[in-house]
Amino acid sequence: MDLPSIRLENVSVRYDDRAVLRDVSISLDEQRIGVIGANGAGKSTLSRLLNGLVLPTDGAVHVGGLNTRQHSKQIRREVGFVFQNPANQIIMPIVSDDIAFGLKNLSLPKSERQQRVAETLDELNISHLADRESHTLSGGEQQMVALASVLAMQPRTIVFDEPTTMLDLRNRLALQHEIAKLSQRAIVVTHDLEILEDFERVLVITDGTIAFDGDPAEAIAHYRQWSHA
Amino acid sequence: MIAANNSSYLARIKPGWKFGALLVLSIALYLITSWIVLLALFIASAGLLLSARVDPKQLRLPLISITVILGIVFVLLGIQTDWLNALRSVLRLLTMCLLAYSVSLTTKFEAMLELFQQVASPIRFVGGNPAQIALAFSMTIRFIPELKKVYVEVREAQHARGLANNPLAVTVPLVIRSLKIAEETAEALDARGYDSDPAPHQR
Repeated sequence: MDLPSIRLENVSVRYDDRAVLRDVSISLDEQRIGVIGANGAGKSTLSRLLNGLVLPTDGAVHVGGLNTRQHSKQIRREVGFVFQNPANQIIMPIVSDDIAFGLKNLSLPKSERQQRVAETLDELNISHLADRESHTLSGGEQQMVALASVLAMQPRTIVFDEPTTMLDLRNRLALQHEIAKLSQRAIVVTHDLEILEDFERVLVITDGTIAFDGDPAEAIAHYRQWSHA
Repeated sequence: MIAANNSSYLARIKPGWKFGALLVLSIALYLITSWIVLLALFIASAGLLLSARVDPKQLRLPLISITVILGIVFVLLGIQTDWLNALRSVLRLLTMCLLAYSVSLTTKFEAMLELFQQVASPIRFVGGNPAQIALAFSMTIRFIPELKKVYVEVREAQHARGLANNPLAVTVPLVIRSLKIAEETAEALDARGYDSDPAPHQR
């Protein structure tokens, strides 16, 4: 799969007078990228910049050459987003309708929507959930449905914002397995350091800046050291 | 109640026909005064519901609720008017409920929303957007159980702090958490490419 480059150029984000990210410039080209850091360091803001959910106060974010400020619609097709709490991401009362929701927004014909829903459910081995009411799903099932709803849109990059926070060990392992299988680029913001072991690159965010950018083992060591300081 | 994966003959009938028939039959029921005919129609509607192969577990609670409510209606009407009139009214309501269950439990939620959008399409002429109204309706159904969960959590937390009987202690966190859910869901709608202007084929 051809993965579009994501570039942040001198990006700063401020909420009122509080700087959340400060002059961040990076290029994201790898297939597996992790983002770690303390609470409030700016990880979630960084992740939301990547599909235009948050726009930079200064600087620019480009996805495949498109600026998120001008092309947010196209970019959201390219960059899917899995939120920390899947319950709030599932919009429709029935699972299969929810997975079809994003496809309807793409104006795909009904037959294609149905086919993609079936394929995605099958890919994640959750076909048995197709007709379930969303509120009856367990946390793990909800996270899988949230991932399915994003996968059905066939984005080339998927951003996960702390996807394992609400999961037990079994579901965490299942999600980790699914992330490892993805042909898409996965950018995972997490406190769960184990999930990053096989990643190609990990960014450590501290006080709105990138304090470390490198391979997972070194990044985790850096983060641990910073946490103990 | 939302339709599960129903594969009966009723599920294969177009939603427009089913809802149209429900509307016509509901009106017709009020034109019938013979309790024997109403009883026959009630038996027929029960047969229809049974033939729809609906999961009995899905029906148990609503049927119990409706029986209790109509039981009260029967007694009150019987006392206020006469018992035959009460019987006719209850038979009409029961028949309508069973017919409505037969329709709603054999029609997929998505199909109901599509039908709603078609029926509501004239509101475009006064600036309304049926797709938005349909989405609001489906999200209401989706989030009622979530808000109920939040309410139970907040109540439990306040109970643990000895504040279970203080309405303010329950209401304030409930409202704040509901707003947080609304904010996150709006963000999810954005992330999933929702466009408040409907796509051409949905217009």
